Amino acid sequence: MTRSRLVFFAAMTVVVVGVAAGVGALWLNPARAAVGPLAGAALILPADAKYVMGFDVKRFAASPFYERFKAERGMKPDALAELEEKTGLNPARDLDQIVVAGTGVRGTTGVAVALGSFDLYKLGRAIETNGKARGTSYEGVTVYHFSEESKPLSIALVDESTLVFGPADQVTQALASRTRGEAPLKTNAALMARVEAIRPGSTFWMVGDQSLLASLPTSIPAPGATAGAGSISLPALTGLTVTGDLDPQVSLAITGEARDAAAAKNLADVVRGLVAMASLQAAQKPELQQLASAVSVTTQENRVLVSARIPYETLDALQPHRPQAVQSTPAPAAR
Amino acid sequence: MRDTTRPLPFATAARGVFDLTLDGMVFSRRSLLMGLLVAAPMAFAVLYRVLAATRGQPPLGPTDLYALMVAVYWIRNVLPLAALFYATSLVADEVEGKTLTYLLTRPLTRASIFAGKFAAYVATTFTLALPAAVLTFFILMTAPTAPPLAAALADLPRDLGVMLLTLVAYGALFGLLGVLLKRPVIPGLVFLYGWELLANVPGYLPRFTLTAWLRSLVPYRPAEDGLAGLFQQVLPAGQGLAVLIFVSIAFVAAAVWIFSSREYVLDQ
Repeated sequence: MTRSRLVFFAAMTVVVVGVAAGVGALWLNPARAAVGPLAGAALILPADAKYVMGFDVKRFAASPFYERFKAERGMKPDALAELEEKTGLNPARDLDQIVVAGTGVRGTTGVAVALGSFDLYKLGRAIETNGKARGTSYEGVTVYHFSEESKPLSIALVDESTLVFGPADQVTQALASRTRGEAPLKTNAALMARVEAIRPGSTFWMVGDQSLLASLPTSIPAPGATAGAGSISLPALTGLTVTGDLDPQVSLAITGEARDAAAAKNLADVVRGLVAMASLQAAQKPELQQLASAVSVTTQENRVLVSARIPYETLDALQPHRPQAVQSTPAPAAR
Repeated sequence: MRDTTRPLPFATAARGVFDLTLDGMVFSRRSLLMGLLVAAPMAFAVLYRVLAATRGQPPLGPTDLYALMVAVYWIRNVLPLAALFYATSLVADEVEGKTLTYLLTRPLTRASIFAGKFAAYVATTFTLALPAAVLTFFILMTAPTAPPLAAALADLPRDLGVMLLTLVAYGALFGLLGVLLKRPVIPGLVFLYGWELLANVPGYLPRFTLTAWLRSLVPYRPAEDGLAGLFQQVLPAGQGLAVLIFVSIAFVAAAVWIFSSREYVLDQ
């Protein structure tokens, strides 16, 4: 064999070993998800869901975002905050992932599957000690019903790695599906197709379908127009996918699906216009220039892809400046 | 007994030319320079890991850095440049070195000579580029802040495929320029850094560039300033694959046809 052939075969070996390692890891990975980033245990969520969102709690808690903004109000997703309040769980320690599915109808709550490692005995004791929940057994699983709210919420301690939390009827439905070995969410082909396209490993992700997006505004005020005088109409979205990461900067990828390529182009133009307007504002606010250059808008057939990479310094600059603490000196006594 | 009045069979002849050309290509100053350029992301990746370990997380995540390397460094810049310097010289070097006569007087068809040389070009650039991509991927994706390796690994074969297609498509085009023009490097550079910028304008013009089709095959969309950031389009991937394969075959066929029919008069 000539030297050059030897070099060629050595290079090919590196490539083949790399690809084989990749394929092997993909097959042998015990935690590989069932559909895209969605774990198999979460497929018991209802089939009529209009949106599904996932949240990698470990990554979130380890991110600079959490570190910076953990004290801010509304920082925690509702499902996580409620779970923590009712069960005494330590999300950063106990939770790996939360998947929420819901219909998006105003006034309704989604049902959540929390994955992690749980001490069911301690958890049950904590809930019972709280005294606000009534424990029952359903399909061999302990379910606690919190009855003090107007809408009854329940938590099911499924096993050491799975909890189901949400409205009582939906929790029991999910448990029934689990017992029957069904995966209702998987039958929602439209949502599953979008979930499948999501790259696993994102800190958070969300997919929504047409009916969820029907309530979005169909127009926005035109720049410079007086109230009610002019507006830009927005093409209707038929689907939405959001994925994001928080380390080492805030990265967002939003994919909006329009009816056709022309509608997607219109929508992309609107987004580009907004980005351009932000650039024009840069004379007054230099941080907006950074923000505008951090966003890219592309179209792909009937889809509009918006990706943003925002460094934390830019986020800090965009934060409203808090008034400095007033030094509390006692008022001089009146003479 | 071989009939010596007829040329060698295509495959045998092409293989002979491939062996001869590969030796000359792999161990050359050009390969040393191109090897350094193509493998530079590996050094960046190591530096990134060292910086992340010693000075804390750099502002760019490992996934973003890898995306930048694949979409901007390799596919947009360095691989087309490597194709330009290798493929334009497939025949031009033989003409310049006045050694083409030795090849043309052998019992080989011109088509087999070009095919052997083109295969050697693909093998050489493959040898330089793809292992660098594999190693860069593993160096970056095993960083603590990277997504799970198993999740990212599905992207690797696709990225390698697109890089290979970049080398083949640009190689075919520049191979054609090499047999068509006496000095093909300047027009090649004008194509790369002039014509290919059309990929960033709105409308149908990006479809007339190779880079717009190639970048549509990878999912990485690094945020860009200027026209690219404002009007970047992602073309349909299936169509892109078909277009790139078609133009590669068409350019190679055209190059073979021109090389087979052209009279080469070497300066004495």
